[in-house]
Amino acid sequence: MAEKIKILYIDDEMDNLVGFKATLRLDYQVFTAVNIPGAMEHLEKHPDIRVIFCDQRMPLKTGVEFFEDIRSTHPLPMRILLTAYTDIDSVIDAINRGNIFRFVKKPWIEAELVSAIEEANKFYQANSMLSIKNDELQRAYSELDKFAYSVSHDIRGPLSGILGAINVARDMHDIAEMKEMLFLMEKSLKKLDTYILSMHDYYSLQRGELHIGEVDFKKMIDEFKDIYKVYANTANIGFKIDINQREPFRSDTVPLKLVLNNLLSNAFKYQNKNTDAKQVELNIEVHKGVATITVSDTGIGILGNHLGEIFNLFYRASSQEAGSGFGLYNVKSALLKLNGQIEVNSVLNKGTTFKVTIPTK
Amino acid sequence: MELSFIIIDDTELDHFIARKMITNANSAFKVKSFLDAQQALDYILANEIDASIKVILVFLDIYMPLMNGFEFIEEFEKFDPTVKDKYYIVALTSSIEASDVNRISSYEDVQEKITKPLMADDIRVLINRIAEKFNLKIT
Repeated sequence: MAEKIKILYIDDEMDNLVGFKATLRLDYQVFTAVNIPGAMEHLEKHPDIRVIFCDQRMPLKTGVEFFEDIRSTHPLPMRILLTAYTDIDSVIDAINRGNIFRFVKKPWIEAELVSAIEEANKFYQANSMLSIKNDELQRAYSELDKFAYSVSHDIRGPLSGILGAINVARDMHDIAEMKEMLFLMEKSLKKLDTYILSMHDYYSLQRGELHIGEVDFKKMIDEFKDIYKVYANTANIGFKIDINQREPFRSDTVPLKLVLNNLLSNAFKYQNKNTDAKQVELNIEVHKGVATITVSDTGIGILGNHLGEIFNLFYRASSQEAGSGFGLYNVKSALLKLNGQIEVNSVLNKGTTFKVTIPTK
Repeated sequence: MELSFIIIDDTELDHFIARKMITNANSAFKVKSFLDAQQALDYILANEIDASIKVILVFLDIYMPLMNGFEFIEEFEKFDPTVKDKYYIVALTSSIEASDVNRISSYEDVQEKITKPLMADDIRVLINRIAEKFNLKIT
C-alpha cells in the first residue's frame, strides 16, 4: 500500500487537536500543532505534507493570516480553513489572501473532513504532475531549438552541397573529375543518411519503453562483429574482443547495442592516420550483477577541454570524419535508461578509452 | 595574378565545388583549402604574401566543428591591419537561421555573405566586382 497522506492541523485548542487526530490517524499521517512556530517546525521537517487545516480564530494570528504568510514559502500544500464563524468578508479574505482550497465548518463532521482531504489530495497530485510535466516540456523545447538549428545546417548543408555539385557539373567534361565529384557527393549523402538514422535513434530513446530480457553478450557481439572485422581489415586496424560472462545479465538489448555500436564505430572512425599499429579493443566483463564494457582505441584522442562537452547534443570535437553530433549524446541517453555510467580517458594523438558500467535489471 | 583564394570549410564536397568554380572562371587562379579554421589562421599568420598578390578572397564557412566561422573572425580581427588589409572575407553559409546571418554580417571584417548552394554565376559576378573595386589585373 502507498504511504499515508501527510496532513497538518493547527489549532490553539488542545481538545480539537486530539479529537482530529483520533478521527483521522488510521487513514492519514496526522501532525498537529498548538501554535504557528510548532506548525512551521512540522512543515520544515516534512516538506511532503499535502494538506494543512488551520483554525481561523487563534491568538496572535488568524488562520487566514497564517495561510497568507506561507503561500510563498510553502506553495505546494493545499490549505483548508476550519471555522465556526463565517461572514462574507472573512470568506472573501480567506479566498483572496489565504488562497484557501476549502472551508470546513466547526464542529466538523468526519465525512466532511475526509472528503475535503481526498479532494485536496487530488488537486495536490494534479499540481505536482503539472510541474513535472512542465519541466519535461521546457527540456523538450530547448532540445527542439537545438534541432531547428541543426536541421538548418546538418540537413541543408549536404543538400546545398549536392545542388552546388549539379551546378558545377554543367561545366565539367572530364570523366575522372566527374567520378571524383560523385565520390564526394556520395560521402555527403551518406553523412545525411547517418544523421537521419541517428535522429531516429534519438527519438526512440526519448520515447521508447524498456524491454528487459536475458543478455548473452557473446551472442550479441557475434551478431555485429563481422561488420567491424571487414572494416578493420580494409583499414588495417587490429580488432581484439574479450568477453567474460559467467553469470546471467538482464537488460534491454536495443539501447545496449546502440551504446556498443556508437562507441565501436567512433573507435574505428577516429583513428590516428600517422599510427602504424592501429588497434581497437572491446572488453566485456560481467561480475556481481554489473557489466563493465571498455572500448579503447589508438586514435586521435580528445583534447582535455573538449572532454566535458562530448556528450552534449550536436557537439563535435573533430573535423576529421563527418560526425553528426548525435552519437555520444545518444549513448548517454541510452545509459540513463539502463541506469549505467560512462567514463572517458583520453590522450591526444595516443587514443581514447570509454568505460561503461551497467547494473543488471 | 593579383587575386588569390582561400577556402575554409569542413566539407570536402564544398571545397571541390568552390575550387572548380573558381578555376573555371580562370584556370590561373591559385586556391588554398583548409578543412580546419585554426589551420587557416595559422597559415595566414605564418606566411608572407607574395608581393604580386593584391587581394586574397577568403570563402569562410560558418558552421564547422572545433573552430566555427564566428570564432575564426574573432581571431582574425585581432591581426595587424597590414595583414588584414589583403584579405577579403566572404561568409558562406547553408544557414537559413536569421540569427546566424545577422551575426555574421555584424562583423566589420566580413565583406559579404553568400548563402549556399554556391553557383558558378555567383562566383563570376563576385570576382568581377572585386577586380573592379581593387583595380586588379586578371589575366
